[in-house]
Amino acid sequence: MPRFSPGGSTKEQRYLVLAGVALGGFLLIAAGLLQLQVVSHDEYRRLAQENRVRLEVLRAPRGAIYDRNGELLADNHPSFNIVFRPMPAESLSRATAAIDTTWLRRIATLVEADTAEVLELVRFANRSGQTAILRRNASFPMLAAVEETRAELPGIEVLIEPMRRYKYGRLAAHLLGYAGEITDTELDSLGSAGYRSGDLIGRSGVERSYEQVLRGHDGAEFVVVNAMGKRVSTLIEGPPRPPTPGHDLRLTLDLKVQLALEEAMKGVARGAAVAIDPRDGGVLAMVSRPAFDPNEFSQGLSFRRWAELSSGGANPLLNRAIQGAYPPGSTFKIVTMLAALRAGIAWPGTRLVPCDGSWEFGGRRFGCWKRAGHGSLDFIGAIQHSCDVYYYQIGPRLGIDALHAAASEFGFGGRTGIDLPQERRGLMPDLGYYERRFGVGNMRKGTLLNLAIGQGEILATPLQMALMAAEVAVGGAPIAPHVVHTVLGADEPAARSLRSGVTAAPAVWQAVRRGLERVVDDGTGTAARVEGIRVAGKTGTAQNPHGDDHALFVCYAPVDRPEIAMAFVIENSGHGGSVAAPLAGDVLERLYLPDSLRLKIRISPPRPDTTEVVHGD
Amino acid sequence: MGTRVRLPFVDLPMALAALGLVTVGLLTVYSATTVPGAHEGLWIRQLLWFLLALAAAWMAAAIHYRAYESLAYPFYAISLLLLVAVLVFGTSAMGAKRWLELGPLKFQPSEIAKIATVFVLARRFDRPKLDLTRARHWLPPLLFTLVPFALVAKEPDLGTSLSFPVILITMYFWAGMPLGQLLLGLSPVLNVALFFLTGSLWWFAGLFALLLGLARPRLPALLIVLTLNAGVALAVPHMWNQLHDYQKRRIETFIRPDEDPYGAGYQIIQSKIAIGSGGVTGKGWLRGTQKGLSFLPMRHTDFVFSVVGEELGLIGALTVVVLYAVVVLRGFGLGAVARNGFASLMAVGLVSAFFYHVMVNVLMTIGWAPVTGLPLPLLSYGGTALIVNAVQLGLLQNVALRRHEY
Repeated sequence: MPRFSPGGSTKEQRYLVLAGVALGGFLLIAAGLLQLQVVSHDEYRRLAQENRVRLEVLRAPRGAIYDRNGELLADNHPSFNIVFRPMPAESLSRATAAIDTTWLRRIATLVEADTAEVLELVRFANRSGQTAILRRNASFPMLAAVEETRAELPGIEVLIEPMRRYKYGRLAAHLLGYAGEITDTELDSLGSAGYRSGDLIGRSGVERSYEQVLRGHDGAEFVVVNAMGKRVSTLIEGPPRPPTPGHDLRLTLDLKVQLALEEAMKGVARGAAVAIDPRDGGVLAMVSRPAFDPNEFSQGLSFRRWAELSSGGANPLLNRAIQGAYPPGSTFKIVTMLAALRAGIAWPGTRLVPCDGSWEFGGRRFGCWKRAGHGSLDFIGAIQHSCDVYYYQIGPRLGIDALHAAASEFGFGGRTGIDLPQERRGLMPDLGYYERRFGVGNMRKGTLLNLAIGQGEILATPLQMALMAAEVAVGGAPIAPHVVHTVLGADEPAARSLRSGVTAAPAVWQAVRRGLERVVDDGTGTAARVEGIRVAGKTGTAQNPHGDDHALFVCYAPVDRPEIAMAFVIENSGHGGSVAAPLAGDVLERLYLPDSLRLKIRISPPRPDTTEVVHGD
Repeated sequence: MGTRVRLPFVDLPMALAALGLVTVGLLTVYSATTVPGAHEGLWIRQLLWFLLALAAAWMAAAIHYRAYESLAYPFYAISLLLLVAVLVFGTSAMGAKRWLELGPLKFQPSEIAKIATVFVLARRFDRPKLDLTRARHWLPPLLFTLVPFALVAKEPDLGTSLSFPVILITMYFWAGMPLGQLLLGLSPVLNVALFFLTGSLWWFAGLFALLLGLARPRLPALLIVLTLNAGVALAVPHMWNQLHDYQKRRIETFIRPDEDPYGAGYQIIQSKIAIGSGGVTGKGWLRGTQKGLSFLPMRHTDFVFSVVGEELGLIGALTVVVLYAVVVLRGFGLGAVARNGFASLMAVGLVSAFFYHVMVNVLMTIGWAPVTGLPLPLLSYGGTALIVNAVQLGLLQNVALRRHEY
């Protein structure tokens, strides 16, 4: 007898239960076999003979993208694709016979491709049983030619599938990004997420960061086709599964602002500009130059064109607004000023040693951009005229820790958390950075002079600079930069990063704002002046070891009720006050002046603003 | 150790049924791989594997089961290590990590873990004064099962992982747990399953009331079960609603891969056409038409039964079903006649897993169960799976050889 306790039932009873379950299971199988092989035998025999149940994929349309006012930016439109579809089983021998060199050559001529390329695609299709796209978005003459000869070309068909269309082409191309056909490597790693060969996948910008909500869920239907591959009917027992379209996106982007910014940046070869709404951090416009047309990717890109786009110094695919890191130059004086004021080492009215064109420190001379000197200035005047000598005196008193703390609060040296892929951090060095580089206690004395005027190791993205202007506009309130306003039809709001903002007394903010307004009214940034609205800004000219200086400008407007904060970086083009500030003025005019008043009047000649730094010891 | 093998005591019907199944398997693999394209000649490899499997079965039968009993825990520990290894180093196919590669050998550690879990459970249940109404007797086996279950589910291989609870439930029952208690313990699972199937909690509420009347649990047990169910009932819909759409979709494809319109749904339809077109007598061996090209993608592995149905018809398919029924019923019968507790429990546990695999695979090919990627025991092509199945059957013969020993 077994040693375990019977627990109320005998072994025989339990055996009967188990045997009963097993018998029931096998009877279930028998019933299923009877149903298939006797009851529905005729139907299945017919399907097997005529063959042919084929799976038609019903592609889910990718979600559309709108600007904040509902203006369409990206959607889908039907594209006629010429495809090769593998033959059903019984005509396999027929198919292999048909696919000879003549067949290949004719197809290749039809779709205007290499014979080898077509052969590769056809081989893959035959191996995997999947449809191969030979030509996307075929022209009507090409389609007509295919239709005419189709009877002689088994396997060739025309399929209508949604294709991505970007209504404005290059406009906001870097922000929108582009979607391309999934590659084999991606398929291997993403296969479990339901991707199939031929699917589009977001590769940059919003298309990539919102891939999961934009892409829908493909549907399918089983259709019965005849030996020629013509559709006869749909299969009764696998009802069609309709595709689930992807979610639409509403961006914070404002087409009106974007158009103004694009227009202003028209003549720029390399550079970037960002406009954000300081009240909530929504990106109003984003431009990066050089740009690309995302529509090119929808049609399938040749390898040569891809190489052209993705490599080389210009690299049009790079979104310089968030992936370009530049020295912020004198725009960074905003941070230094705030740090000094809140630390109490200077007051708005504090006058330091008057500027005579240079400053001696540690046995070296540090020049001011204005060689003749600024004379005696208070802090407001120092930022208004961007006096370097004043800042040289502030830097060492402030110290690296206080400067780094303020810069970090503004967002320098860290990602802003914007919902776009591959944002760069930039660099805001702290004491540890120099100790790692030069050894403990070896941070060079002149470093703080350079840092105080935004030179040296500091690197920032244009978005970080725009964020700095926005923080001044709202007095340090937390701002989370983002580009997607809402995911339409989704139950939850789009994700936002959490930043903590900048802490300073109201009086400190007031002083910084007064200084920045003076920059535009009667300082280095007068080129950004616009009649009728109050603009606050800061120019910058960043030295660049690889070439000419970068021109920079940050600003926000209107000062009394801020609605827009912008940053401009124009690579290798000269002075911020003469090159970048006019662009800001141009945008603000387009946005705030009625058409009738939009006259190209430059009130005063722009003043040069440059900072010279003595490099080396 | 009684290692002397006395052939006359071998369970002959079971052995013959198994040999019959392997023969059908070889013939079908031969037929399924004769279409132009890859895989030709696989049946020879399968034949070599079969010879190896025979030797493995012999060894599994020859060593006294007391050895397995005493080595149950180390064996279990090793199998868990292998399951962890597969998650770390495993080879992935179709997004799931299930295989470990050792030189030319490629095997699924989950197969080994199943046998090891049966050993451990049999050992735990085979003790004097076992009282499965007490937590200290039923809880440890539950934990011993949940660990491999979770590891296999994580691969993810839901199909195989579910064989662990099947083993546990069958062995609980065989060890004497009252049916009412068993169902009550399963009630949170039933709760979730019914919620997903029907979308409402009322179905479960009715069933639960019926269960309570049947089982009449003691007050503490009642409270625990009630709390568990209330917790599950409250948490699951809430958690479900918290998920993103695409996360929901992933779970749905995980539970029902045939909802994936391209892959599995296509296979099911092709499989049904193959079986259905076979009719009563079949199209004849080697005469199947649906096995070509991509119409039956896994025709020699997961969908081997479809080829049986197409070529050998209802007669052939039912014969295969009867052969499986012989193995399963004789197996449970061995559990009933074996005098030794461990042997009896081991037999029932092994057979339950075998039965589960057969059911899930065959019901899949006729479209009555989701596509889970489980091979058909003894029939599907695959060397290591064949060896593992042979070992299971060898262990059953082990019990048969010594069924009179205490």
